[in-house]
Amino acid sequence: MIEITDEALSLERMMQRARSSEVGAVVSFLGTVRDDGIEGMEVEAFRDAALAELEAIRQEAMSRFSLIAAEVAHRTGSLEVGESIVAIVCSAPHRDEAFSGCRYILEELKSRAPLWKKEISEKGGNWVEGHGR
Amino acid sequence: MRIKVLAFAGFREILGRECMVELKEDASVRGLLDELASGSPRFREAAFEPSGLLRDYVLLMVNRKRIDPEKDLFQSLSDGDELAIFPPLAGG
Repeated sequence: MIEITDEALSLERMMQRARSSEVGAVVSFLGTVRDDGIEGMEVEAFRDAALAELEAIRQEAMSRFSLIAAEVAHRTGSLEVGESIVAIVCSAPHRDEAFSGCRYILEELKSRAPLWKKEISEKGGNWVEGHGR
Repeated sequence: MRIKVLAFAGFREILGRECMVELKEDASVRGLLDELASGSPRFREAAFEPSGLLRDYVLLMVNRKRIDPEKDLFQSLSDGDELAIFPPLAGG
């Protein structure tokens, strides 16, 4: 399942959905707002385009690493320090595929999905310099 | 013809999330960007070098497909097309 949401992310629900009798490994990644002297973060998405890109990335990971399930959720809106920005869960018969799939989805998401972050501090807002093109 | 413009991140703060732009028939992507710049000096400064070249951090989609500004900037638009403009991606 792919999700872009203003609501808090639930890794637990995602991991539950990724379990099945064929699965021997469930790997999860959670990206959170780090306190780099900021008060919080705003996350913006080109929602329809980002959903399509995340689904394409998910499909690539499913076939490259023979995953049983892959789940991706990305927050939008206002986040406080410590809140989850992105959650990824991959399940596979064995751990190598699950780890590789999770890493693949994260790196591709960062470079391909139309999403942006703005750090909010007492000095104001500052868009995080993106590297994805 | 009318083109829908969607802007994100820093460009949204200048142009607003969405606007419609009226252009003459067969206008190009560059023509649309020039039209936006003529109405907003802030956008001109954000999107263009002083020489008039498009800044390399300006990313564009036409009808949800990425275009290469080096090759496709002068492609013609059609009535009802959608242009999205945004800076390099920074999710995750």
